[in-house]
Formats: sequence, structure tokens, C-alpha cells
Amino acid sequence: MKHAKYKWNTAFTVRTIASWLVALVIFFPIFFMGVTAFKTELEAIAVPSIWSFEPTLDNFYVVQERSDYVSFAINSLITSVASTVIGLLIAAPAAYSMAFFPTKRTKDILMWMLSTKMMPAVGALIPIYVIFQSMGMLDTLGALTIIFTLMNLPIMVWMLYSYFKDIPNEILEAARMDGAGLKEEFRHILLPLGIGGLASTGLLCLVMAWNEAFWALNLGAANAGTLATMIVSYSSPEGLFWAKLSAASLLAIGPIVVFGWFCQKQLVQGLTFGAVK
Amino acid sequence: MSFLELQKVEKYYGDFHAIKGIDLSIQQGEFIVFVGPSGCGKSTLLRMIAGLEEINGGDLVLDGKNITELHPSKRDLAMVFQSYALYPHMTVKDNMSFALRLAKEDPALIEEKVSKAADKLNLTDYLHRTPKELSGGQRQRVAIGRAIVRSPKVFLFDEPLSNLDAALRGQTRVEIAHLHRELNATSIYVTHDQVEAMTLADRVVVMQAGVIEQVGSPMDLYERPENKFVAQFIGMPKMNLMPAKVLGDQASGAAEVGIRPEHFTLVAAGEGDIQGRVEMVEALGNETLIHVDIDGVDEMVIVRQYEYTSLRPDNRVGIKFDASQMHRFDAQGQAIR
Repeated sequence: MKHAKYKWNTAFTVRTIASWLVALVIFFPIFFMGVTAFKTELEAIAVPSIWSFEPTLDNFYVVQERSDYVSFAINSLITSVASTVIGLLIAAPAAYSMAFFPTKRTKDILMWMLSTKMMPAVGALIPIYVIFQSMGMLDTLGALTIIFTLMNLPIMVWMLYSYFKDIPNEILEAARMDGAGLKEEFRHILLPLGIGGLASTGLLCLVMAWNEAFWALNLGAANAGTLATMIVSYSSPEGLFWAKLSAASLLAIGPIVVFGWFCQKQLVQGLTFGAVK
Repeated sequence: MSFLELQKVEKYYGDFHAIKGIDLSIQQGEFIVFVGPSGCGKSTLLRMIAGLEEINGGDLVLDGKNITELHPSKRDLAMVFQSYALYPHMTVKDNMSFALRLAKEDPALIEEKVSKAADKLNLTDYLHRTPKELSGGQRQRVAIGRAIVRSPKVFLFDEPLSNLDAALRGQTRVEIAHLHRELNATSIYVTHDQVEAMTLADRVVVMQAGVIEQVGSPMDLYERPENKFVAQFIGMPKMNLMPAKVLGDQASGAAEVGIRPEHFTLVAAGEGDIQGRVEMVEALGNETLIHVDIDGVDEMVIVRQYEYTSLRPDNRVGIKFDASQMHRFDAQGQAIR
């Protein structure tokens, strides 16, 4: 008994140290970026790195002045929120019908949807670019919202499908017998029972849309640029401005990190969907 | 004029013909039990009546109105599910009042109906709990309560007792019978348990492979089965079936004969109508079942008697039977009357 406890303690210690190491390795670049954002450009490029310095907010002023942070942030906010809301509106009914009225082909359709995520995005760049160009939608928030929605849709359907699958069909049938039409069934049964799944799915897709860079860079530049495009503008051919790049990045990820911090529980639930039943 | 009428009702799953044109008339106030082996279509048929499965052919008429295509919510039927299917996020009270609240009934009336039902089902102390805080038996009572507060036209029960343990099953069965009488309701009950079928039903519907084999009162089915399937399905242990030649002249014209275990009497070897060897003796306390391997054919029969026996395996015995209790079947398995 004593031996077993000792073994458990060793395993626990090793696990703790290992997880801290991994966490630190993952966190270090973000930490370094956070620190660099408060240095002057000279301090920022110093090798070896300077760890004691007078923190300054100059970089943040410059970033706001030079590239109008707020307008990029608003673009990010609009595209990620709109794409998430539209995505949920499309994905929820799709997942509902797949989970509660499955056919022989339901699994195939789900696999096919997921398989679209396996193709590199750049493979579809030219046709999509041409389509938006001919529709006059290049560099518009509408184009980005559409592409973010489509990009996240397979994941949304999959996640909601797996959440809805956990709700016993008989509960919905009982509601139908009790006189609930589709609207009441959704409002009184599916929404309260599936709200956790809907929230996790929405949050995860919000984060993914916020962080999206490839389509944002290729389809939106000046007017519809999101924060991802703003960051890129600081790694320009004129030379790298490490401190300002760090400040811009910190500003870009700031809102979503704070947001994610408050929604940790739902996000973890979302990321491990299907793994824990 | 019947209350609920099934007219040539059909169901297909792809190429599989699950329900093969069923006709059935149910009177108001009747307790009907669908019984049959698993996969016979009894649950499917109930779900078709409920509107949870589409009807692919034929008509369903309730109280003079054709409801074949009607959404389940508009049919005014209540259903008790095998898994209870309570709303996990609502209290017992909210579960029971859900249908009434959807129907926008007067809150005072809802309160009155729920407390009356809760009183009837001994749930008054649990009204503010959620389903997960209840035992299996209590959950089942909530499911029943949810159905009775609505006073629906017909109650549908889909194997409601199969998730309960044996003692609770017996008790709940009695409660259901009592409620049915008290509410003077029309009920359709699906089960694979023939004890439930025999004790609850006014009429039993025996099904096999998507068709009705026989409809009748429990004793009707027991005493006058129309075919071999019903004869063997109803009764525990099941009716003994033997090739007619074993009984010689007494069974003339029949291909097979059936005799229930209690209509056999054991006599000394060499006497009686059939000779055989004891294979096994099951002493169950109130009754004794003696398995006998009969001579000349590869068949085993069971003899039921209500007193103990000193017979042991491998003893030779004779069997006598009451010819008036013999069921004769033709080559197609249909009863010869």
C-alpha cells in the first residue's frame, strides 16, 4: 500500500514537472512578445536580451497612430461575430437533422464535410479570389464574413452533431407528444439542453475566425483588413520593428485572450469534443 | 363505431416491409396490449399511432378524424417511454405541467391538475426535484403523471416497465391497471412480457413479423389459439407440440397437436397414452415441471403438476392427457376446430 502511494507520488511529480515544462515552452514566445512590446526598438533587438529596462507605452501610441488599431479591431470583431452567428444559424439545423433524423448517408456527408478541411486553403485561393473579384466583393467585410463562415462550417456541424447526439431522441419525441411543434421543441428542450454545446462551438469558431490570417490577408487589405493584416504590415521590407510588431501583436491577441480566459471552461469542452462522453 | 381505427396500415424501411397492412379497431376505454417477439413490429406500430414514425400506407382514424398525416403534437395522445424520457432540466412539477403550459392552460388549473396527479402517484414530496434526484420507480411514475395530467384521448405505453426491477415491475403493473380503471382511459400498451399482457389487457394483439396473428381476450388466446405461433407464444412454459402420429387415432386429420403442460398427467410406465423417460425435474415450490423425452420421436414435453414428485431423471413414465384440451393444427400451423 505504502509502495503504491510512493509510486503514485513519483508519477504525479513527473507529470507536474512535464506539464509545467510544456506549458512554459508554449507560453514563452507570448511572454517574450509581451515584454518586448514595452521596450524601445534598440532594447528590443539587443542580443542577449535585456531583461531590466524602463517600460514604455510609446510603441502602442505609434501603432494606433500609424495604422488605426481601432478600425482593424472593429473589422475583426464584425467578421468573427457575424461569421459565428451565421455559421451557427446554418450549422444548428443541419446538425439537428443529422443527429435526430439520420439516414444511411449521414455519416458519409459528415466525413465529406470534414474532408474539405483537409485540403490546403491555398488550393482554393484562385477560384475564390476570382469569384469575389467578379462579384466586386474583394476587400469587403462581407467577403471575409462569408469565407470565415464557410471555413468554420464543417467544424461547427461536427461539433453540434456530437453534442446533439448526446441528447436522447426520446426526450424530443416526448416533447412532441406533449404538444410541442418544432419551434417549442427547439426553445424548451433543444436550446436548454444544447446551450453548452452551442456556446462551446460558437466560442471556438469565434476564436478561429479572429485568428484567421490566410484569407484575411488575401481577400481583405485596406478597408476590410482584420487585426491579422495589421500585424503583417509591421513585418515589412523596410525593416523589422520588433517592439512595434510586438505591441501590434499584443493588441491583436489581447481581446481574444481576455475573452478566452473568461470562457475557458466552454472552450476546453469544445476542444475536447467527442473525447469525453 | 370504434374510437381508434387502423385501416391497412403499412410501414416500409427501404425494402424492408416492417408492418404489413394492419387492421385493428379499438373501442373507447379499452386496454389493448401489443405483444410479440422482439422485431415483430409492435413498437413500430405504436410509434406510428403516436406519429413518431411515418405511416407509408393505409389510414389511422381517431374519434372520427383521420390523423394519418398529423404531427404528433396535434394528435392529443400521451406516451410513456421505456427510458422515461423526462426533461432533465426541469423539475418534476415542470415535467408534469409541460404539456399544459404549452397548451396555455390557466395556471391555477395547471396547479390543481398537477397536484392531483402527484397525489395519486405519491409524488407530492418530490415536485421540486429534478429527474436525476429520483429513483427509477419514481421517474417512471413522473412519466405516467406527465401523461395523465393531460387527459389525452389515448395513452400509449412503450414497454414502460422493462427498466424496473422485478418487484417494482409487479407493483407498477398493478398501479397502471388501477389508473386505467380509475381514469376510464383508452390505453395501448406494448410489451414482450406475456405476464403483463395477460394481466393488463382487455384484448391482446399478438404480432409476428409485421402482421397480427390473433386478437382476443387473454383467456381467448390461451384457450383458443388460432395458430401454432400464438399457441406457443402465450403460456409459460409454452404449449407442448408433437407430431400427430404420436397420439395415433385421437389426432386424426391434424399434422401436429399441442397440449399445455398442465393438461398432462403422469401415470406409471406402460399406462396412459404416451411413454417416455424423465429427462429433468424442476421443483419450483408451487409447481413442479417434469421434462419427459417421449419414445419414438425426437421431442421433449413438459408436464406441470402442483404436487411434489419422487421421479428422478431416467425413470420411465407414462403420460395421460385430456383429449378435450388438445389443440390440433394442420400442416400450415392453423388450428383445426
